[in-house]
Amino acid sequence: MIKIKRSFQYVVLTVVSFVSVFPLLWMVISATNTSLDVTRGAMLPGKALIENFQKLIGAQNVSQAMMNSFKYAILLTFASLCICSLAGYGFEIFHDKGKDVVMGVILLAMMVPFAATMIPLFQMFSKAGLLNTTAGFMLPTISTPFLIMLFRQSARSFPHDIIEAARIDGLNEFQIFYKMFFPTMRSTYAAAMTITFMNAWNNYLWPKVIMTDQKSITMPMLVANLTEGYVTDYGVLMLGVLLCTIPTIIIFFVLQKSFAEGITGAVK
Amino acid sequence: MSRANKTTSQKLTLSKKQNISGWFFLMPATFLIAIMSFIPMFRALLLSFKTGVGNNLKWAGIFNYQRLGQDTVFIQALKNNFIYLLIQVPIMLLLALVLASMLNNKHLRFKGLFRTAIFLPCATSLVSYAIIFRSLFAVDGLVNLILIRLGFLEVGYNFLAHPNSARMVIILALIWRWTGYNMVFYLAGLQNIEYSVYEAAMIDGASPFKTFFKITVPLLKPTILLTAIMSTNGTLQLFDESVNLTNGGPANATITMSHYIYNLSFKYVPNFGYAAAMSYLILILVAVLAFVQMKVGDKRD
Amino acid sequence: MKRKSIALLLAAVLSLSLMGCGAKQEAAQPAAEETTEAATDEASAEEAPAAEASADSNTLTVWCWDPAFNIYAMEQAAEVYKEKNPDFVLNVVETPWADIQTKLTTAATSSDLSSLPDIMLLQDNAFQKNVISYPDAFTDISGSGIAFDQFGGAKLAYSTVDGKNYGVPFDNGAVISCVRTDVLEKAGYTVDDFTDITWSKYIEIGKDVLAKTGTPMLSMQAGETDLIMMMLQSAGGSLFDAEGNPTIVNNAVLAEVMGVYQELIKSGVLIEVNDWDQYIGTLTNSTVAGTINGCWILASIQTAADQSGKWAITNMPKLETVDGATNYSNNGGSSWVVTSNCKNVDLATDFLGSTFAGSVEFYEKILPSSGALATYLPAADSAVYGEPQAFFNDQTIYALITEFAGKVPSNNTGVYYYEARDAVATALTNVVNGADITSELQAAEDTVKFQMGQ
Repeated sequence: MIKIKRSFQYVVLTVVSFVSVFPLLWMVISATNTSLDVTRGAMLPGKALIENFQKLIGAQNVSQAMMNSFKYAILLTFASLCICSLAGYGFEIFHDKGKDVVMGVILLAMMVPFAATMIPLFQMFSKAGLLNTTAGFMLPTISTPFLIMLFRQSARSFPHDIIEAARIDGLNEFQIFYKMFFPTMRSTYAAAMTITFMNAWNNYLWPKVIMTDQKSITMPMLVANLTEGYVTDYGVLMLGVLLCTIPTIIIFFVLQKSFAEGITGAVK
Repeated sequence: MSRANKTTSQKLTLSKKQNISGWFFLMPATFLIAIMSFIPMFRALLLSFKTGVGNNLKWAGIFNYQRLGQDTVFIQALKNNFIYLLIQVPIMLLLALVLASMLNNKHLRFKGLFRTAIFLPCATSLVSYAIIFRSLFAVDGLVNLILIRLGFLEVGYNFLAHPNSARMVIILALIWRWTGYNMVFYLAGLQNIEYSVYEAAMIDGASPFKTFFKITVPLLKPTILLTAIMSTNGTLQLFDESVNLTNGGPANATITMSHYIYNLSFKYVPNFGYAAAMSYLILILVAVLAFVQMKVGDKRD
Repeated sequence: MKRKSIALLLAAVLSLSLMGCGAKQEAAQPAAEETTEAATDEASAEEAPAAEASADSNTLTVWCWDPAFNIYAMEQAAEVYKEKNPDFVLNVVETPWADIQTKLTTAATSSDLSSLPDIMLLQDNAFQKNVISYPDAFTDISGSGIAFDQFGGAKLAYSTVDGKNYGVPFDNGAVISCVRTDVLEKAGYTVDDFTDITWSKYIEIGKDVLAKTGTPMLSMQAGETDLIMMMLQSAGGSLFDAEGNPTIVNNAVLAEVMGVYQELIKSGVLIEVNDWDQYIGTLTNSTVAGTINGCWILASIQTAADQSGKWAITNMPKLETVDGATNYSNNGGSSWVVTSNCKNVDLATDFLGSTFAGSVEFYEKILPSSGALATYLPAADSAVYGEPQAFFNDQTIYALITEFAGKVPSNNTGVYYYEARDAVATALTNVVNGADITSELQAAEDTVKFQMGQ
């Protein structure tokens, strides 16, 4: 009985996994084919990978874009996690009427489409001389209602007795956060890191408005460059897309164990 | 000062102290959001009461908001957004929950691979998945081929050329793309539930179905609330799929509000006042829905 | 050190924005201090040099988007110009068209044009809209000495607003009808049967080809109005009158065009696909026996090297019942503009004037590798344009296309071009699905009028 159940699980998971991976697989196959073969619906690996790669690096500054994307995404992820986890913890552990209201108001910040706030934001950043800068890229998305709420919801399962005990031991509030909360919530941090890195990496609309410099190009901007023009080289495009996707996949693969298999035993 | 009195005053200062350090914790994030979101939002609000072409804006009171009711494209977009919301979000969240609780099984093998595979869609670039979905659902695409082989269809059906089937493709694409994303939060949330609880339930002979609804769902409630609010917000602001999969067609049958806002701002003769008014309507809709969800799901036990 | 600079930066942003909405200045100080601690995580806010319009008197910054096409042309133009002006420096920033439009709109709406380059490329269809919406963003170059009369009239009209020249025309979008000679041969036709014909003749032959070979003549992207707009312009028709009022209803040309399109679909001569990639696929896969589009489609057709020698081009079919119908039209194309952020307008106009608007040698140089066809009329007489092309059965396609380009009737894009185009696209989709043409066009006109009534 259990065996049947378990094999049923494997079947379901295998089917879902295959459906999920299929477009990525197609992307990998396409990256090895010539543009002509891609438009003709090639479904088998081709021999054009090296040719596509040469064309890609010939037309676009891939290493610059990679470096920029990594720089922006890593810095942003780090800053975001620090600031938002502090806030999420604060909203939950010290919650009172006032803070709950502030939380509600903060949530409003994500409910307006970015297209509407982009112009005033651009005005501010242009006046402050932040166009084409790392700070300009990062500032609008360091603090996000989403991450704050993620940490607030997770902090709900953080036992209050631990905090009380730590206070009696003479730890100050920040030490409690850093020494107690932070290690216990590793799975939440790992999940948040994956998602934040991915969002930062794929962010497109804002950089395309404030980056007006060939040197500040990011990977999604590079991919956009490949789709423009009278002729699209699909093989090269798919290789570019693949290069743009790989870092997120690696980050996920490395971190998934931490958030899905937690570290049991820290809190009892 | 009596001893008793002293203790009370100490207690007061202690809780006051905690209260203040609480504010200190959330200050940096709150401050950044105030600058980066609320100031631009306030400007956009002012803009929504103005009208005109390009930079020649005049005050127009609630003119833009009145126009919304007469705009057939907007009304169509609003309907589409709600169709996506009502059908897609529940299916996706339930699916994500089921997958997460399957993958939380300690005895399962290849967990890492399954998890990565299911997460992959949201990391896969829009460019490639849009091309794939369009070709899968083309008249001579794989889906039609299978349906014809199985005898459901005589000739290929052009899914993207008919309003309901085009919406269905968008909904499928959304479920495909975001289920793994939501699963991540459930998996992370499940780590806070003692695994022994499950083992105890198993020993008690509880069916997986019962375990799921009696243990997993209630304990994940804070996370489910989070994902429900985020998905509601994401669906009402849906942009990518409408632009890349169907370009709003056929005949605006799949266009979303954000897509229309983008057209009004950057494709058509820019009408930022009107676009801002539309954005504020989205804000109100999401806020009301989020408020209801919070009322239902955000109780501290 | 780092800490301090970031705090300053944040304080600057803060005070600026606070001033902007009239809040109290005092609030800035303590608040900024509190973020300092948090902001240390964000690492360095380096001040990269912005790539706006160049301050240096010999440098020009340009935004355009296609490395194989307009970027290549720009770089070659710089080489030509450097021969006489050795100190000249050109800085091309590759920017997709959609991004140019977003950046331009954002900058112009913010009344802060300092982020714009000296020169940028604008799509012809968006030219009027941008110049009329943001007159402050562009420089009137009518008096710059550029010989505008050397360009085709229809092409020049796109970049002319109120009689003033705002742009230097660049690439050619003259419409060509491409056919697969090998497929036609099987049905007993040649390219000559498609030359100087009407749409009903085209449909008649198309049906015959379909019956004999099973191959439709045309494919189009569903929900796109490219073919509609090409047919419309071929008879000098527009969606707007001279005053800019929409003329979608009571537009005899448009009504006939919609009817022709409906007939093309019904007869199976035209098949609709869902996106651009599939459209290109129908050409490279030999799913269809031809296509009608702007001449830039040649570059995509030529990617199928195994079809070499099997293609031929000719002019497009014309409408029958309307006056002024021709076999020539235009789809796409772009023009260069000088922004108002350009500090050195003389240099910019001299550069454009002595290359894009003054050098046959330059156009000869860019043609072979980019296929960039001039709208600069003197280039048509050059020997390079008269060379036969093996891919097209040794047809002298470049001379032919340039000849077509000279015969294209002008049309009026109007400011609300994209609104009208989208509304007509909606009508077209419904008409293809069997709706009534007149009532759909009425609905389209209502939509456009609504969108104009801001």
